[in-house]
Amino acid sequence: MSFFGFNDRGHRQDAPGFSQPRDAFAGIPSRGLADEAEVLDFEETYDGLGDQLEESGDAFNDDTFGEERLTQQSIGKDFDFSGQTGGVSRAIEEERMRFAAQKAPARLAPKPASPPRKATKPAKTGYEGFIPQLQADANLWGIGPKRAPERAGPSGYQAAAFSSHATPSPAQPSAAAPPPARKILSVEEVEAFMRAESQQSAPPPVPVHQTPSYPQHMPEQHHFMPHQPPQQPPQQPPQQTPQQPPQQPPQQHPGFAFPSLQQHGHRQPQIHAQPTPPPQPTVFSHPPQILQRPHPPPGSQQPPAAARQPELPSQGFPPQPQHPQILQRPRPSSQVEQSAQRHTPAPQPRQILQNPNRLSGHGQSGPPVPQPYQRMPEGPRIPTGPAHQRGPSYQGPIITNPQQILQLSDEDRLAFMEEDSKRAKRNHKIYLLSKDNGLMTPQDKNFITRIQLQQLVTATGTVESNDMESVLNEDFYYQVYSQIRGAPRHDPHQPANQFAQTYLFQTGGRFAGRRNARGVDNHMQRMEQQVQRAVEAARAKPKNKQLVIEGSLGKISFSNAKTPKPLLNIRRNDSNSHPHHPVRRPSRVHDAAAERRVVLRNIETLYNSVMEMEDHERQMPPPLTDTSDSATVQQHLEWREKMQILNQRIWADLKVLEPFIQNSPTLHPFVAILSHPKGKKVMPRVFRHIDEQQRVTTLTMIVAHLDSLDVIAYALHDASAPAPLAVREEIELFAQAVMPCLFRSVNEAPLNIIAGVLGLVTERTTVSAIVCTKIGVSILTMLVSRAELLKPTPSADSAAHAEWEQWTETFNRLFDAAEPALPFVFPGTVLNADDVHVWQFLAAMGAASNPEQQQRLVMGVKNRVMETVRMGRTLPADMAAVRLGHVNLFMHAIGLDVDLLVG
Amino acid sequence: MLFFSFFKTLVGQEVTVELKNDISIRGTLKSVDQFLNIKLENISVVEEIKYPHLSAVKSVFIRGSTVRFVHLPATQVDTALLQDATRREAAQAGGKAKLG
Amino acid sequence: MASPSEPGNRPDEPLDLVRLCLDEIVFVKLRGDRELKGRLHAYDSHCNVVLGEVEETIYKFEEDDEDAEPVTIKKQSEMLFVRGDSVVLISPNPPS
Repeated sequence: MSFFGFNDRGHRQDAPGFSQPRDAFAGIPSRGLADEAEVLDFEETYDGLGDQLEESGDAFNDDTFGEERLTQQSIGKDFDFSGQTGGVSRAIEEERMRFAAQKAPARLAPKPASPPRKATKPAKTGYEGFIPQLQADANLWGIGPKRAPERAGPSGYQAAAFSSHATPSPAQPSAAAPPPARKILSVEEVEAFMRAESQQSAPPPVPVHQTPSYPQHMPEQHHFMPHQPPQQPPQQPPQQTPQQPPQQPPQQHPGFAFPSLQQHGHRQPQIHAQPTPPPQPTVFSHPPQILQRPHPPPGSQQPPAAARQPELPSQGFPPQPQHPQILQRPRPSSQVEQSAQRHTPAPQPRQILQNPNRLSGHGQSGPPVPQPYQRMPEGPRIPTGPAHQRGPSYQGPIITNPQQILQLSDEDRLAFMEEDSKRAKRNHKIYLLSKDNGLMTPQDKNFITRIQLQQLVTATGTVESNDMESVLNEDFYYQVYSQIRGAPRHDPHQPANQFAQTYLFQTGGRFAGRRNARGVDNHMQRMEQQVQRAVEAARAKPKNKQLVIEGSLGKISFSNAKTPKPLLNIRRNDSNSHPHHPVRRPSRVHDAAAERRVVLRNIETLYNSVMEMEDHERQMPPPLTDTSDSATVQQHLEWREKMQILNQRIWADLKVLEPFIQNSPTLHPFVAILSHPKGKKVMPRVFRHIDEQQRVTTLTMIVAHLDSLDVIAYALHDASAPAPLAVREEIELFAQAVMPCLFRSVNEAPLNIIAGVLGLVTERTTVSAIVCTKIGVSILTMLVSRAELLKPTPSADSAAHAEWEQWTETFNRLFDAAEPALPFVFPGTVLNADDVHVWQFLAAMGAASNPEQQQRLVMGVKNRVMETVRMGRTLPADMAAVRLGHVNLFMHAIGLDVDLLVG
Repeated sequence: MLFFSFFKTLVGQEVTVELKNDISIRGTLKSVDQFLNIKLENISVVEEIKYPHLSAVKSVFIRGSTVRFVHLPATQVDTALLQDATRREAAQAGGKAKLG
Repeated sequence: MASPSEPGNRPDEPLDLVRLCLDEIVFVKLRGDRELKGRLHAYDSHCNVVLGEVEETIYKFEEDDEDAEPVTIKKQSEMLFVRGDSVVLISPNPPS
């Protein structure tokens, strides 16, 4: 299975890629096999792709490949193996010898497959230079063709390329077989032939090319040719002596076989194809020219004469399509021959064949390629060139056949082997050096880096464009988050912008986001503090006298049993049957979907307004000063005006003032907003932008609809079945998000408002139900404790006392309504530690109660008090302290202390 | 750009990328781009035995289009802010001029 | 009663309905017989979404037995980014 579900086969082998010239022969796989006996005609196998190569568009070659082209010479030297690498020829020879000795037998077996296949991949031009020589040899002997076919098996082009180099590789042996059949000339014969050629020197003699003449050379050439790079001869004179002399001359000049081979790879291939045809001679005639000029002319001329006349137009590539040879030749011959005159061509081809990858690499770096292009019109053909050249150079076949070697004279054999080993070494070295050569030039890398940077800039937005608006719009989350969470800022120099500050502040107030208890704790702590103060205030202003400690204690302590409870309950039964599960007023499930959508839309609209307000807020113009000019003042006026408009919009969106339909099945729109988590979450933000009056109104609305709130209606707890998780989450959220707002409002409200709000509770809601909910209890606690703090001093004016009277009245109603539910106000069992809010409530109630009420209070919750105290004894000290502390909150409010019970 | 912006804040966090071919790769979010291509480091394949391909791989570049899920650490996400960011994005996309 | 958004009375676009579900529990159907249920924290025009407290349900069908009930696999994730090209639909969670 492919990794990511992608096609993991990678780049198509036959597809053109970087530095990999299209393999023109890929499409003509085994053609050569058919006519083994015949000389492989490259033109026939040529698929014409070479002609499609674009000669133009080289303008950016430098960008792609670096500026190497300028220094082609140096490049060429990289591959001048006979020069630089020549030094290692010894070692190579040795290797070669060993190799030959070991593999000789193996070679016999036909193993054309492996190396050739690799060759299939785009040939590297780097070796092309050598190839031509090889081909030339083959042509000379007429052996070339045979080999080509064999190799062709794997891939047409390979065959060609290989034939020359194949020799070294064991695989080719089989191929070699045919050549021998042809006939191997004796060294003497070859020499003679060569001499004759050299004498003729002029192209005309070339006629020799014709098969007849070549065959003779074949034997020698097979072995030698491949190895005998033009330059080599000097080094290895003895070995190749016979052949070399002839070869050299030709190379330098019109020497038929050699000249053509060395100088013009093209010609050689052509020769192969044309071996039989007489036209070749003409080709040879050109060789000299070739040396001076690019191969195109010679090659073109020759080919036409040979098999395909269409080629005649040396440069006419279109016709060439069929003549792969021509294409191939240009590069190798031109580069190698011209620049270095003669590099060991054969060795390289091999490598190419075997290591396609390398080839690609070489292709780029290989000097040969560039040169051919520049020099020769045929340049375009270059890509294919290498392969063909190799093929044409029939050294390969020669080598392949161990037998052939055997047939050689000792000297020849030695020479052959030496060269072969040299070649192998070179190949290896080249391989090592060129593994990943030129995959990317520095320019490539720069280019890509630039692109990436550009993308980064565009992606991040133009930070420098001071337009914080756009930055924030584009990258809002990241920008604000970074500043809130202290993440590294994108641009350190960018000051924490006003916007982020706004949000930071908001987030601080937005407890909603996180479920951690921080928000709740803060809220609870403040509530507790207020209750404490209320309790202390109550104590400071002694009502009549505190609860009859004796009596209360006595009763409680000795009536550990449940006896007192029923009595009390019965007595206080005047407030109807206790509605533990009050009817939920508004049924919330009606045309649910539509209703819900309306509510959600309201909420989103509210969000829009709030966010717009926040945006506007941070656009506040610079603060006014005495020196502010009128423009600034004007700005401020407009800004405030806008604030006002936005405020009105928020207020409208809040739906607080929507008329309340008494028995409507649907929730009041404002209450509905509060019933969604995001509606709760937005409250703190809304409260920041509405004025005091609006806040109080909101508070009033909430209180008036207390038992419609989801957090109350769904939260009625009983010991057996705690509220479902979802409801508990809503409660938490409400406590975190909404309560603090209300708390703040309440704490700023005067007594008459508190009294009024509390009055609403008693009139409009089911108090006995509300006190059984956490939120309900919290709100009541809030109101009662606040009122206790506002209790007028005796010195206060009468109005204050009148208000207080009114408050007391209201409180009494509340107390009466709540008392029946007292035994049920605690959530769950005593094991449930989450009852702080209840103790706070009791404390507030106790502080606000008169002695009689306090006593009733005690009776109502006595059981829980005792249970908690008892359990406190079984708990670890610290936990017990916490629980008892909660109890004491209440006990202190009524002038008692847990210690009295514990003792 | 919302999610690009979003993912940028998660750089350096441990995430699990579930690909459409069911492979899950856990690693440190190294970088992300606007196509939501993802670069992970110190990776481990969740079902190593079932998908041994990446056993030896230390870091990966994941093309965004092959991603099905990215499992994120909830503590590293400011949901309220994210929702607001989403609203802003929606407002912009919807052409509501109201939300400058 | 609450009249739908007074400001900008433009017609609802499909994604506006998704917006209504922000911070709500939504049901997301995905390609490959998968479903998600979770709180919607973010979305964009490509239907990329971020869900919180997600429950993923995968239905696996036995290939050889078409009539067989699919095997359901459930997975949880506290926070999940879902790439939009897998999303088939987003809907308010059907009240359960």
